[in-house]
Amino acid sequence: MAAPPVIRQLDLELRNIRKRYGSFTAVDDVSLKVEPGQFVCLLGPSGCGKTTTLRCVAGLEEPDQGGILIGGREVTGDPPWKRDIAMMFQDFALFPHMSVARQVGFGLEMLKKPKAEIAKRVAEVLASFEITQLAERRPGQLSGGQKQRVALARAMITEPRILLLDEPIGALDYSLRETVMLELKSLQRRTGISFIWVTHDQNEAFSLGDLVVVMNHAKIEQQGPPQDILSRPRTPFVAGFIQGNNVFHGKAGRAQGGVLEVETPLGAFGVPLLDLATPAPGSPLSFSVRAERLIERPDESVPNRIALRCITVEYFGAFRRHVLEGAGGAVVKYDQFGALPQSIREGEQITLGWAAENGVLHRATPA
Amino acid sequence: MSTIRAGSPAAFWLALPAGLWMVLAVVLPVLLIVWVSLWGGQGVSPNNPITFDNYARFLANESYRWLILDTIGQAAMIMAITGVLGYCIAYFLTVKVTSPGWRIALFLAFVIPFWTSTLIRAIAFVPFLGVNGLLNQLLISLGLIERPIQAFLYSRLGISMAQVSLYTLLASGPVVYMLSSIPLALREAAMTLKAPPIIVFWRIILPLTLPGIVIGQVLVFLNVLADFITVTTVGGNKLAFLGNLILLFYEGSQIRSTAVVSVLLMILMLVGVTVALRVVDIRKLGS
Amino acid sequence: MHWKTRSRLTGWVLGTVTIGFLLFQWAPMFTMFTLSFAGETGGTTFPMNGVSLHWYRNLWEADLFDDFKPPMLRSFLLALACSATTVVLSVCAAQAMRGRFRGNGLYFYLLLLGLMAPGILVGFGFAILTRLLGIEGSWNTTAYVVHVSWALPFGFLTMLAVFNRFDPKLEEAALTLGATRVIAFRRITWPIILPGVIGTALFGFSLSYDEYARTLFTAGSDGTLPLAVMAQLDRQLTPELYAIGSVTTAMSLIVIALCSIGFWLRARALRGRPA
Repeated sequence: MAAPPVIRQLDLELRNIRKRYGSFTAVDDVSLKVEPGQFVCLLGPSGCGKTTTLRCVAGLEEPDQGGILIGGREVTGDPPWKRDIAMMFQDFALFPHMSVARQVGFGLEMLKKPKAEIAKRVAEVLASFEITQLAERRPGQLSGGQKQRVALARAMITEPRILLLDEPIGALDYSLRETVMLELKSLQRRTGISFIWVTHDQNEAFSLGDLVVVMNHAKIEQQGPPQDILSRPRTPFVAGFIQGNNVFHGKAGRAQGGVLEVETPLGAFGVPLLDLATPAPGSPLSFSVRAERLIERPDESVPNRIALRCITVEYFGAFRRHVLEGAGGAVVKYDQFGALPQSIREGEQITLGWAAENGVLHRATPA
Repeated sequence: MSTIRAGSPAAFWLALPAGLWMVLAVVLPVLLIVWVSLWGGQGVSPNNPITFDNYARFLANESYRWLILDTIGQAAMIMAITGVLGYCIAYFLTVKVTSPGWRIALFLAFVIPFWTSTLIRAIAFVPFLGVNGLLNQLLISLGLIERPIQAFLYSRLGISMAQVSLYTLLASGPVVYMLSSIPLALREAAMTLKAPPIIVFWRIILPLTLPGIVIGQVLVFLNVLADFITVTTVGGNKLAFLGNLILLFYEGSQIRSTAVVSVLLMILMLVGVTVALRVVDIRKLGS
Repeated sequence: MHWKTRSRLTGWVLGTVTIGFLLFQWAPMFTMFTLSFAGETGGTTFPMNGVSLHWYRNLWEADLFDDFKPPMLRSFLLALACSATTVVLSVCAAQAMRGRFRGNGLYFYLLLLGLMAPGILVGFGFAILTRLLGIEGSWNTTAYVVHVSWALPFGFLTMLAVFNRFDPKLEEAALTLGATRVIAFRRITWPIILPGVIGTALFGFSLSYDEYARTLFTAGSDGTLPLAVMAQLDRQLTPELYAIGSVTTAMSLIVIALCSIGFWLRARALRGRPA
């Protein structure tokens, strides 16, 4: 006898969510599918609608249009307490009048579990988060890192289908963040609970997310695995938002052999079309080239070349970043591994270039 | 670093005038009352012998004992009414009203009378509650009663209505303060932990506003205990509480008895405040 | 019941309670105000027997027992003095609290005591004190001392709250720019705390102007306005009392309105006019 086919339900599905406050559109036509056990990062500048989207999932905001499904069940009109989610708040929102143990057990109490079971589970969870010694403390007596653990324990104890995290490490000291990120990532792997993590920090998003969703002006600009977004930004916003991209704006020229000629103030460059349709000649478009993909003093075989003057050289993490100026004041960044000997001095005139395949053409922006 | 150095002599000298003023005008007089209440003999002179006779004589009178209980009862009743009413209003104004314009308008309508004279407000209750008063006319025109209710004015009912009107703000104000200092995220956190609104209220909101409730109750308690204006104006001298007794004895030049009642009133108040301090720490309210 | 319906229902119930209370709170004042315009034959209750300014005219022309003008002047002067004294004392006291002198905790409770101690006890006690010292009570001496002790705690708490929100880094900035403590206070601190100071002055004025219990025991033979009103109420309740009540209430409301407008204008000026 054949077993019935197992249909793997999505943990979360957003169908064309829209949310307006008066004349301000906070979330515009956002659709998203989250596979079971996926780590999703909503990335974008402040005010881009990522937190509102998260709050819609939690039920703290109700979308004006569109549908929300959690575990395949329609929950759009349901209040937060009827959804299979838990949430971690930016400043942790610990209840100031409850001890840590009471606080962590709150979710189970709400599920009307027997007292003995709650006590047992709380003890287990406190132990697994290594905060047993804090059980009787009040939130006022905790450090930032301890608060973060308590908030996480409080959210995780009910074993929700999805954990929503609103800038969960933004309130922590910088030195703590990396450790906490690693811990959260391994916790997510271990438990198989889907995480939806809202952040404006791309390092967080790219190192944690299985799926990164970049938002701007209430819309999703691009979603995909981190390497896709890093290597193939689809819009000028994404390219500009991610560190280390040079974005060039220009007009479409002739296409030949899958390579499109683009006219820019800095000159004409060949950019591969990849999967995009050939744009009408003269239509405005943009493309990007990563700053570390540029080549110094290229030979004649490199077709894309720009004459520039180096303005400043600065160290940017492990990189040495050169800021160069071209015709008409256009600025180009060139990154070099910092350990290499410095080859360009400030004020020097230099030609940079890049191999045609390193240009990334963006989707034409609707006018 | 600021314009005043911590622990500097300047701080001490700046603090001194206000401190001396309070000692002279409040602490010393109150201590004097205690002393005078213990005077034996006849005249008003510091040479009188110390005795508890005044208390014994006062407490021997059964109608005075009843008056004490009656005053406490009245305070308890007004505390209960203003407590519930004040909490409802505070909750409505801070949580339920979402439009900032309406919130400010309603707040002002609530608070402004507090800045006008309590005496005038109490007097205004006379034409409001009287036989031909606004309240009776309203009730008649609504068809709720056929003949005007006499008992509104010059009665305990009237006094209580006036006191509720005068003191609800005292019960409500501290609750408004505590409610508005609860971050919205706390409610939301509780809701995402599967708590429906009613549970959020009982488990989160109410415990966090408890200090405000207690402070408000203390303020109402102190004010009702010492209130003699409302009782005189709205009660028309038909009724008396401890405050009126103080005035009555004083006008009769019975200084010792006045002092005795005053001290008893003080003891009641101290007990009330002490009980309240056991429940909450007032100093935390400022932080 | 759907959870949203329930939430809305709670809102309606609480709203009804609130509006009901507000009406109940304002209705007596409204009644008094209306009746103050009663006709000459009108009594202290409905019907009004016409509409007139008769009782206001009476108020203005009266010159015997029911002449409220001298007590009103006394109340006004006393309130001004009390207001000024309260401002000075509470700014000093609050500034001193920032300097955390020894015993500042006890000091805080000392000032709070004035708020908790009922007027009837303070007034009576102070009357005993003056009698033992052989001082004759008068509205501008003994009553003044007691009035300040009543307004001071309010002013002190207001100024503490103002200083709590005040950012001491502003003063530090002034001090690092070479200002002395006194200059930094006068040029930086004072302008910033000024709205709070005005609030304190208002508190001082209105608390003194409306004070009854303390004054009753300490004012001596020439009473203030509340004493005169109460005396008149004891003799006979006339619409004239409603007139004086309406006048003082209207004055309070006008002062509040003027100050609110002032604060609003200042806030707007600080924000800078939007283009």
